[in-house]
Amino acid sequence: MKIIIDAMGGDNAPGEIVKGALAAAASRPELEITLVGREAEVRAAMGGQAPTNVSVVNATEVIEICDDPAMAFKHKKDSSITVGLNLLKAGEGDAFVSAGSTGALLSAATLLVKRVKGIRRAAMCPVIPTAGGQAVLIDCGANAECTVEYLVQFAYLGSFYASHVLGIRNPRVGLLNIGAEPSKGDTLRLETWPVLQAAGERGEINFIGNIEAKEAIKGGCDVIVADGYSGNIMLKTIEGVGSYLGGEVKKLFLQSTKTKLAGLLVKSGLKAFKEQLNPDRIGGTAFLGISRPVIKAHGASGAQAIENAVYQAVKVAESGIIAEIEANIGKMKVQEGES
Amino acid sequence: MNTQDVLAKMQELIGEQFAVDAEEITMETSFEEDLGADSVDLVELVMAMEEEFDIGEVEEDEVSELKTVGDCVNYLVNKMK
Repeated sequence: MKIIIDAMGGDNAPGEIVKGALAAAASRPELEITLVGREAEVRAAMGGQAPTNVSVVNATEVIEICDDPAMAFKHKKDSSITVGLNLLKAGEGDAFVSAGSTGALLSAATLLVKRVKGIRRAAMCPVIPTAGGQAVLIDCGANAECTVEYLVQFAYLGSFYASHVLGIRNPRVGLLNIGAEPSKGDTLRLETWPVLQAAGERGEINFIGNIEAKEAIKGGCDVIVADGYSGNIMLKTIEGVGSYLGGEVKKLFLQSTKTKLAGLLVKSGLKAFKEQLNPDRIGGTAFLGISRPVIKAHGASGAQAIENAVYQAVKVAESGIIAEIEANIGKMKVQEGES
Repeated sequence: MNTQDVLAKMQELIGEQFAVDAEEITMETSFEEDLGADSVDLVELVMAMEEEFDIGEVEEDEVSELKTVGDCVNYLVNKMK
């Protein structure tokens, strides 16, 4: 299994990216890792280490946040993202991992590696912690404005991800909405519901109906289908509430000697809970709908996040999810008059 | 290639990319207003045009001028003269 890594993407590149890549290469010697970036900087970050399963491909440019996302890969043909994705396209690797600009990575992946034929839009599908364990949130920001067909495709893509990559049997798919009844929501939700319901009746997905954000967090479904706009608001709310609650609990335990003692007693439990909310634990978000595995690690990724993003990339590449999407593309078409 | 030939090829490319019937696409069809295209869609279409018509690279300022199918057809006919 060959994993290509953008060594120059993200706030902590190349140092933390290289560190994470080296950790993955050491712990999984069967992997072959290609680091793409300014070779001198990448080798310096390797600090003299030269494991046999790590190679470096030189790319002299870096796509910055300020670059136009849709055109960046054309302007910067020798950027780490463009060179890395071209390697993936050419079959020189099985998956690509980057912590670089989300918009530029998505555009470049769409335009260079291409979407699976018939997929209208690629989507981002982070795995979020819920009371039931975990759920796939698709989309979380790649597509702010969606059509019925996009949401229907996201439902299938998310369902395949939950079953093939997360190992959830017959994943429950919910449509994120402001109420559970089919009559709730805006035009997009009202028109999408019957199409998903029909797909559920055909046994193609396990559609459980509309789901409110609070029920989703309680573990009400395994796949949360959303347009990128509302999905992103949900994701950021979870992050914000998690951080706020963490801070409040910490303050509570530091109030007096008694509460400090109580804090000590529950420290390991709190640590485990905090770990559940740690985005570095998973590493990144797959771009579903692209014809080869592309993983976006978050911009602030440290070495641990990159190491885990590599393992996530391996999992996605081994899962057969792309073949499953290709085999089922005919089912994802929304017929005229269906919505 | 004359205008009709280019239009026919463009109808095929656009029909496939935007999942619409080729017959619905006319010279007046607007990418943004009629097909809901965003900037990535346009770059994707331009890349398909570059490949299909073997016209080399379309410059960024030229891409921004391509608002309708007719703009693309006229651009291609001129480029291939």
